[in-house]
Amino acid sequence: MLTGCSVANNEAISVSPACRLFCVFVFLVCLSLVSFAAKATEIDTLIRHIDELWRGNTSHATMSMSVQTQRYQRSMTMEAWSRGSDYSLVLIRQPVKDRGIATLKVKENIWNYLPKINRVTKVPSSMMSGSWMGSHFTNDDLIKESSFQDDYNSSITFEGERNGRRIYEITSLPKMDAAVVWGKVVMMIEQETLAPYKAIYYDEDGQLMRTMIFDQFKKIDGRTIPMRMSLQPEDKPEESTVIVYQNIAFEVALDDNFFSLQSLRQRR
Amino acid sequence: MSAFHFLTIFNRLPILLFMAWRNIWRNPVRSVLTISALAGGLVMLILYSALLEGMTRQMVRFATEISTGHIQVQRQAFIEDQDLYATLPWSYIQTLEDKFPDIQIAPRLYAAGLASAENTSTGVLIKAVDPQREALVTQMLSHVRRGELNLATAEMLEDGLARYNLVIGAQLAKNMNLEPGSELVLVTQAADGSIGNALYRIAAILKPLEPGFDRMGVLMSIEAYQQLMYLNDGFHELAIKLDDATQLEDIQAVLDAEIRSLTIAQPLDELGGLPVVRNWRQLTPAIADLLELSTSMVLIVGFIVVGLASMGMLNTMLMAIHERRHEFGVLLAVGMKRRWLLLMVLFESFFLSIVSAVVGSIAGIIASAYLEEHGIDFSASLPDGYDWAGIVFEPVMKGYLEPAHVLNACMLMIVITLIASLIPSWRIVRLKPAEVM
Repeated sequence: MLTGCSVANNEAISVSPACRLFCVFVFLVCLSLVSFAAKATEIDTLIRHIDELWRGNTSHATMSMSVQTQRYQRSMTMEAWSRGSDYSLVLIRQPVKDRGIATLKVKENIWNYLPKINRVTKVPSSMMSGSWMGSHFTNDDLIKESSFQDDYNSSITFEGERNGRRIYEITSLPKMDAAVVWGKVVMMIEQETLAPYKAIYYDEDGQLMRTMIFDQFKKIDGRTIPMRMSLQPEDKPEESTVIVYQNIAFEVALDDNFFSLQSLRQRR
Repeated sequence: MSAFHFLTIFNRLPILLFMAWRNIWRNPVRSVLTISALAGGLVMLILYSALLEGMTRQMVRFATEISTGHIQVQRQAFIEDQDLYATLPWSYIQTLEDKFPDIQIAPRLYAAGLASAENTSTGVLIKAVDPQREALVTQMLSHVRRGELNLATAEMLEDGLARYNLVIGAQLAKNMNLEPGSELVLVTQAADGSIGNALYRIAAILKPLEPGFDRMGVLMSIEAYQQLMYLNDGFHELAIKLDDATQLEDIQAVLDAEIRSLTIAQPLDELGGLPVVRNWRQLTPAIADLLELSTSMVLIVGFIVVGLASMGMLNTMLMAIHERRHEFGVLLAVGMKRRWLLLMVLFESFFLSIVSAVVGSIAGIIASAYLEEHGIDFSASLPDGYDWAGIVFEPVMKGYLEPAHVLNACMLMIVITLIASLIPSWRIVRLKPAEVM
């Protein structure tokens, strides 16, 4: 973007012979293309890195989630498995009342298993914006995560020092025909560790909707992973959802039919 | 002088009336045609107002008796965004019942949830009622299409948990392919944030009551609701039926004052807002507006129909006067006062309209009596009825004949035809005997 601007400037001030001008122009175009390509790979790498940060190829994690609302406070511990971005399974371990409730995500579908009545229910598309397990995350958050790269155009909008840390700021805007919830997502990443520390979500009118803070960084398998995520809805300042990873392991061996409805029923 | 003047008119009245009556039947075909046009218009008008009155009554009945009640009490936050926690304390019911012996009250609870049957899932609106109290306030529970209405426990499961019966809307049953006896899973977020989930048995399917309930309504007992939602502190809505609906505003004001004093004595939490007492006109403003409108509609349509029919009258009288110009000239020449002649012609129109009114009212009453008895049946093409302004109507449109409407229609017709006959009568005033003779 910067180079594009300087091309225009050079053209404007250069009054030298046409040939020289042309050479400069070609040189600058090449330069901008190269840097654009470099930027493109850079942003893709960054996005992929963030995307796979908590996931790897396969993963197995235990975590706790605490939800604070105006009306209730509750915390639960969960166990989660994933393969790629398309398959994941979350199982509630605590509290006793919800113990055994499991959520299976396969591509764009979500099923819940309810041990009390021993039934599997599919979450219909009309309920995607509903809260997931009583938290401030929606069912849609689980699904959209896997299609984020398809639905949004991301670019690095800031690179440098801010508040004493060297960071990248990635701004993602939805593609023209993508069915998305957010109008803009801005993510701040530390340059040194490539770990995100903050994500801000705007709606389609540009209104700030929620802020996610990442902290408690831990180095696992050579990657710096934030172990705590705090989600703060903008319209309810006294409410929040905090997810803390107790531990997380990557490249675990999982059966082919691990992410299936049968496995969902059997897992208690 | 003026007394004497009136006396002469009264003396002449019988002869004028007699002449007017005889004049009508000098051309019986024309008069009968005019009468039938006017009477036909009147029949239309009577039928129209009977139908509209029938619809209005059906609408008021649906608006109040079927599910809304005359008055409802909810808290502000519940009205605004169905806030699950905006409840009113259970103690209110007893207090209100003690203070107001001539009203019936029924508590209700609501929640959003996910219903799953074998292959389908859909979002539903859970509504919980107290069957005994609800039956005293609305007829909601008696509108059963299939199955047997029963909100009690269906069976006890081995782990001591009860499985409850559910009643669902017709469209929901159709969409999810459910029949009485099917099982349905409800999943929702309970009041404590946990995942409320339970298995139910469909006991009955309700006829369409209101489009929202029909499409996504699930009805259960308050006991079942509390087990699912862990919400025991209170209820969301109070539906109230008055023994005397004409005192709506007065009772509403007294109730409002009483509930306000209750909230002062025992403050509610701030988040839920204050309780709001609303009557059915405020709850269903579209219908209240429609009712206001229907009165003026009858009047406008009446003017149009009768106005058209009175064109026939105008034509008849114009012809009759034109034909008899010669005769009128002679009468004027022999000394008949113009105003008596005018009066005589007006009597002719008056007789025509009176006869039309009698014929029209009799025919109209017979026709609307038929409509009241049988109605217009759309059930072949609209088996579930039709919804309008958020209320589902039965597919049979029934009339309701209000005697005052017949009288009003007759008066309207007589006045309009008399006004219409002023135009031809005016010609007599300007008649020059020398020219027409």
